[in-house]
Amino acid sequence: MSLGETELLRLRLLGIMMFLAAFVLLCFLWKLQVREGVKYADSHERQSVRRVRIPAMRGRIYDRNGACLADNRANYCVSVYLEELWTMGRGMSTIAKVSAIVNEISALTGAPAQVTSRQIEEHLRLRKPLPLVLWRNADERMLARIAEAGARLPGVAITVEPVRRYPLGSLAAHVLGYVGRSDLSGEEETRDYHYYLPEIAGKQGLERRFDRLLAGQAGGSLVQIDVSGFQREELGVRPPVPGGDLLLALDARIQGAAERALGDFAGAAVVIDPRSGDVLALASSPAFDLNLFCPSISRSEFAALVENRLRPLYNRAALGVYPPGSIFKPVVLIAALESGRLRPDDVFDCPGYFHLGNRSFACFLSIAHGAVDYRRAIEVSCNVFFYRAGLATGYEPIRRAAGALGLGRKTGIEIDESGGLVPDAEWKRRQYNAPWVDGDTCNVAIGQGALGVTPLQMACAAAAIANGGALYQPRLVIGERAANETGFRMAPPRLARRMGWSAENTRRLREAMRDVIHSPSGSGRLAAIEGVEMAGKTGTAEYGRKADGRKHGWMIVFAPFDRPRYAAAMMLDDAQTGGSSVGPRIHDLMAQVFALEKEREN
Amino acid sequence: MRRLGLDFIRRLEWSGLLAAGLLVAVGIAFLFSAGFRGDGRPIMGYYERQLGWAAIGCVLYMVFAGLDYRIWIRWAWWIYLLALALLLLVFVPGLGVRTYGATRWIELAGIRMQPSEVMKIALILALARLFGSRTRDPRQARHVVAALALTALPMAVVIKQPDLGTALIFPPLALAVMFAAGVPGRYLARLIGIGLLLAAVLAGFTVAPHMLGLDQATQDRLSAMVGIEGYQRDRLLVFFDSSLDPLGAGWNKAQSQIAIGSGRMWGKGYMNGQQNLLGFLPRTVAPTDFIYAVIGEETGFAGSLALLFLFSMLLLSLLRIAGDSPDKYGAVLCVGVASMLFCHVFINIAMTAGLMPITGVPLPLVSYGGTFMVGIMSALGMAQSVHVRKIRSENFQP
Repeated sequence: MSLGETELLRLRLLGIMMFLAAFVLLCFLWKLQVREGVKYADSHERQSVRRVRIPAMRGRIYDRNGACLADNRANYCVSVYLEELWTMGRGMSTIAKVSAIVNEISALTGAPAQVTSRQIEEHLRLRKPLPLVLWRNADERMLARIAEAGARLPGVAITVEPVRRYPLGSLAAHVLGYVGRSDLSGEEETRDYHYYLPEIAGKQGLERRFDRLLAGQAGGSLVQIDVSGFQREELGVRPPVPGGDLLLALDARIQGAAERALGDFAGAAVVIDPRSGDVLALASSPAFDLNLFCPSISRSEFAALVENRLRPLYNRAALGVYPPGSIFKPVVLIAALESGRLRPDDVFDCPGYFHLGNRSFACFLSIAHGAVDYRRAIEVSCNVFFYRAGLATGYEPIRRAAGALGLGRKTGIEIDESGGLVPDAEWKRRQYNAPWVDGDTCNVAIGQGALGVTPLQMACAAAAIANGGALYQPRLVIGERAANETGFRMAPPRLARRMGWSAENTRRLREAMRDVIHSPSGSGRLAAIEGVEMAGKTGTAEYGRKADGRKHGWMIVFAPFDRPRYAAAMMLDDAQTGGSSVGPRIHDLMAQVFALEKEREN
Repeated sequence: MRRLGLDFIRRLEWSGLLAAGLLVAVGIAFLFSAGFRGDGRPIMGYYERQLGWAAIGCVLYMVFAGLDYRIWIRWAWWIYLLALALLLLVFVPGLGVRTYGATRWIELAGIRMQPSEVMKIALILALARLFGSRTRDPRQARHVVAALALTALPMAVVIKQPDLGTALIFPPLALAVMFAAGVPGRYLARLIGIGLLLAAVLAGFTVAPHMLGLDQATQDRLSAMVGIEGYQRDRLLVFFDSSLDPLGAGWNKAQSQIAIGSGRMWGKGYMNGQQNLLGFLPRTVAPTDFIYAVIGEETGFAGSLALLFLFSMLLLSLLRIAGDSPDKYGAVLCVGVASMLFCHVFINIAMTAGLMPITGVPLPLVSYGGTFMVGIMSALGMAQSVHVRKIRSENFQP
């Protein structure tokens, strides 16, 4: 025979081992099915194991001084465990059973039903194992009534869910963003542990951008319940992982000052620390109360926000693209001086207009400024000087300087933003199928034409001029921490690039901008504040049809002049001139900023 | 071949064939029951598709029984390499199909298959080729090392998928084959020792950090050291402790235990299982890995006994064929098939009854699943082929 003695013996041993293992299995089944079977048969009369989802606490958002901008509150809900309804009587659909329970509770407490049958259906399809919330925001009276009813309401339980709360209401609404129900796509990729996926997701702003950090992961437990629904035993638990926290560069008090300075007017204001790119305030007006979205916003309230003519949901500060007008002139000046084609002692005559071919360009408010040098041209915002300086320099150096200062491209801030536009010959050919002409250069030299910038970009450019030529990537978030960490992991500032301007020319530009505020004839003199040397530039940019005469008012400033700690840009949708309309508001903003600084020192 | 053709039917080993046929029939009957949802809703189509797979399985059984099993022994190395390549295809984007967090399937030309099932049979053939040869002395250490490598390679790939349940089949299968082939006990003891040590190291890098309560970052770093990603580790953790996934695996375990326990001595009757009817046993797993829960609830302990009796009958026939095998290749092949079946049955019933961690190990011939059904039927066909050829005991060299 082919098999030897040992091999046959071992085959037999293998058979015996298998038989023994099967016997052990059989013994266990005897214990489970026959000896303890009664226990399981009993527990069977009513489904006795309940799946409880433990939601994760969403992470908090703090301002740079530790003031809380977003946290959570507890919300009591009346929920129903759908699986416990299945044994309730056959032949009735689950939806009908839920509706019956909703009606019963309504009759008991007088609360009108909140869930629709469409919502019940969707819940059955996507999250069947989890309790369906029938009432959110249940008050004490309602909770007491339901507790009394107890066993009469099968599967009904009181559950707690965390709800986002924004303690400061509308403050920094466009920065923080808001949260809403997360959509469950039911993809295979995510179906695995979908019971633990967050129910709430960031929908806008930092809430959306940092959703992964903030959301955390829900946990769950499996509990044995008795006939009246009380928990008897916990069979297994997966603790939730709370979300991590964010530390913002934003200073809630400066943010508040910026929002107050804007008042009811449509516009935007951005304050940046020129030493780091930290965004201390980023305000867009009008704003909206973030708490409207918690736990969810009603259809009519949302419609009102969307249909509001002033568009409160729109973040003008980072998304709005506007012609900069004269606040672009510092860029033209530095480009002209650096190119060497404009000498510091060049003087142009301003008769109040400028002829180019058969076209005539007016000076600002058609004022004849007479003999004007670069310093006076910035101070009084003389257009004719910049037409001529622009043509003398040529467009390329101007375009390059604007690009170097970050105009025409996204800044890299953590929220949605626009890139704006710095036009060039290529762009014009694509757009209009026409070559770049001197008239285009003249328009851009005074910040008009196709040029488009965001208030955020202008604040960054102002910060770079303030600190002598270092462009920082603006940032809203300076630190993150996971839920179990005590300290924030701080991120270092990110330098985008250095301008490489000569010290002489930088000094010339900065001093000219100081005159704008401090000279008696400076266009920005209304912005001046007591005891602080400031520099800046005003701008008035026409938009829309000429006949409507609508103008954006602009101003950029930085202060204190010698070692700037603040750079700001402010824009109003509709203004007379930058100096007269925005100047006083910049004054209010900067006065408060320095008052706050003094307050902190004491 | 002519003589064989005339005698073929007479020579078949009938007890094993009968047991296998009954098990397939039981499977289809309870897939029908598992698909029954009451309230006049149509019965889910698992049983129909399984009927199709069973038909294909029967044809393959006969084909493999008719063909000389030594063909497969001869090509064993190539079959092994092919199966390993298929197994690796799972990781090719576009081919591998991800379900429930693990990549166990590949889709080729519209056909979905589970390469790990093919791999099990390929491993059995490779081990039969290794230990079946009379020129190789199983007492030599190098053959043991070779067997170890043959087993460890696919096992590592399967762990990476991650499919720990399937991976768990490989070591006992290889050990049983080596034991039957005459590998000395001291080597086997050492292998078991090394295996336990390796398992302990793997656990030390993946499961233990969690049990010790280390933070997430440290856990991620440690499991990255042994090449396991976060989500894979989470699955491993759930494998060892289903309470870590109370809303998923934990729930399945509790419900299947209630189902089996409530069956008691005689069960609630066919098509009458409440756990299944009301859907407490999730419909995604009831026909596949948890089919025994349906059987246990509807037929009680008596049904469990009968089921185990059928499996014992099948296993006994396989071991008998091994004992009568015309050569050692056939004997090792049959022992391999028997061990594979035994491991599946034991692990599946133990986990469904709550005795073992919840894994994705199906009940052979009974659970729904195409690749598995076809694979097991082919393997049983090969064993039958050994039996049919037991008279012709001429010397054979592959």
